[in-house]
Amino acid sequence: MPDLWGLAAIATKFFLYLGVLASGGLILCRLVLADQMSALDRATRIWAIGFATLAVAMAALGFAVRGAVLMDDVSGMVDPSILALLWQTPPGEALLFRLLGLGTLVLGAAIGGRWLWVAAVGGAVAIWSFCEIGHVASQDRLWFQSVLFAHLIAAAFWIGIFLPLSRLSRSAYTLGDAAALGHRFGQIAAVAVPLLVVAGAIMTWRLVGSVSALFGTGYGLWLLAKLAAVALLLALAALNKVRLVPALQRGDPGVGPQLSKSISLEWLCVGVILFATAIFTSVLTVPT
Amino acid sequence: MKQILGIAVFLAMIGTNALAHSEKESMTPADGAVLDNVPETLEMRFNDGMRLTKVEMTYAGTQIETLDLGAQSGFVKEFSLPLVPMGSGLYQIEWRGLGVDGHPMTGSFSFEVK
Repeated sequence: MPDLWGLAAIATKFFLYLGVLASGGLILCRLVLADQMSALDRATRIWAIGFATLAVAMAALGFAVRGAVLMDDVSGMVDPSILALLWQTPPGEALLFRLLGLGTLVLGAAIGGRWLWVAAVGGAVAIWSFCEIGHVASQDRLWFQSVLFAHLIAAAFWIGIFLPLSRLSRSAYTLGDAAALGHRFGQIAAVAVPLLVVAGAIMTWRLVGSVSALFGTGYGLWLLAKLAAVALLLALAALNKVRLVPALQRGDPGVGPQLSKSISLEWLCVGVILFATAIFTSVLTVPT
Repeated sequence: MKQILGIAVFLAMIGTNALAHSEKESMTPADGAVLDNVPETLEMRFNDGMRLTKVEMTYAGTQIETLDLGAQSGFVKEFSLPLVPMGSGLYQIEWRGLGVDGHPMTGSFSFEVK
C-alpha cells in the first residue's frame, strides 16, 4: 500500500487532471461551439479560471510532494536543494509547461473575446505537459506523445461540455439552447469520441502489451477499472445523443432534469476515470 | 463492513510497489547476506542514473543511523557509502532517490553480521 506521500501524490494528481482538463475543455468548447455557448460566455470563462487555479495549486503542491517523497519527510516539500534537483528532471519541465500554460489560459479567459484563442493555446500547453513526463514520455517517441495529446484533447472537450450543458438543461427557459448545444456537441463527439477511444487503445497496447498483464498486474487492474467507467460513460453519452437531446429538440420539457441527471452521472464516471489514472500514473509500474 | 472491505480491496489493488518504479539494482552486501565482519562500505549500483536523497540504516531493529551521502553531483549509477559499524546483528538499509527520469525511487534490503 502507498505511504502517506503516495496517497498525497494520487490526490494531487487527481485534482491536477481535473483542473487542467476541465479548464482547457471549457475554453475549447467555448471556441468550437461559439454560437451555441455565446449566452454562457462569462460563466464559461469564470469556470475555466476556477479550474485553472485549482490546477496551478495542485501542480505546485504535487511538485512539492515529490520532494517529501524523496526525503520521506514533510521538510522535503520546501527543501531548496531537493526542489532544485527535481527542477532539473522531467517533473520540473512539466511544472514549467503547466504554470506557463495555465497562466496563459487564465489571462486569455479573464480578457475574453479574441483572447480566448490565447487561452486555448495555454490550455494546449498545459495538456501537453502530461506528454512530457511519465510512462508515455519514457517511450521517447513523438508519435506516441501525440497519441496521448489527442486522447487528452478529446477528453478535455468532453469534460468541457458538462457544466454548460448542465446549466442550460436545468432551466425551462434555456432548454432550446441546451438542445442546440447538445446536438452540435453530439455531431463533433461522433468524431472526437472514437478518436479518444482509439488513442486509449493504442496506449494500452503499447504500455500493457498483453492480456495476462492486463489481468495480472496492479497497473492492468486499475486500467480495467478505468475501462469499466469509460464503458458506462459511453453508454450515458449514447443515451444523451440518441434519446435525451432529440427529445429536447422536440420541445419535451420533462427531459431537461433527466439530461442534467445524466450529466451528473457522467461527472461521476469521469471522477472514477481520473482517480484510476492518477493511481496508475503515480504509484504503479508499467508491466514489463 | 462493506466499507472496510472496499478499502481493503482498494489498498490491495494499489499494490506494494508504491513510488518504487523499481529498476534492477545490485547491492553489496546483497540482500539476505550473512557476513563475518561489518563491511566498510555499502556499494549500490543502478541500471540508470540516480541521485540518492536519503539512506537509513537500522541496526538490530532499534538503532537508526542516517548514512552520509557525501557530495553528489549529477546522476550516477554507482554509489559507495561509508558504513557505521555497530557489531554483530541485523542491518536493514532503506534508501530513497531520484531517477534521472524524475521518478522518486525507494528500496530496502538487509544483511546480517555474525
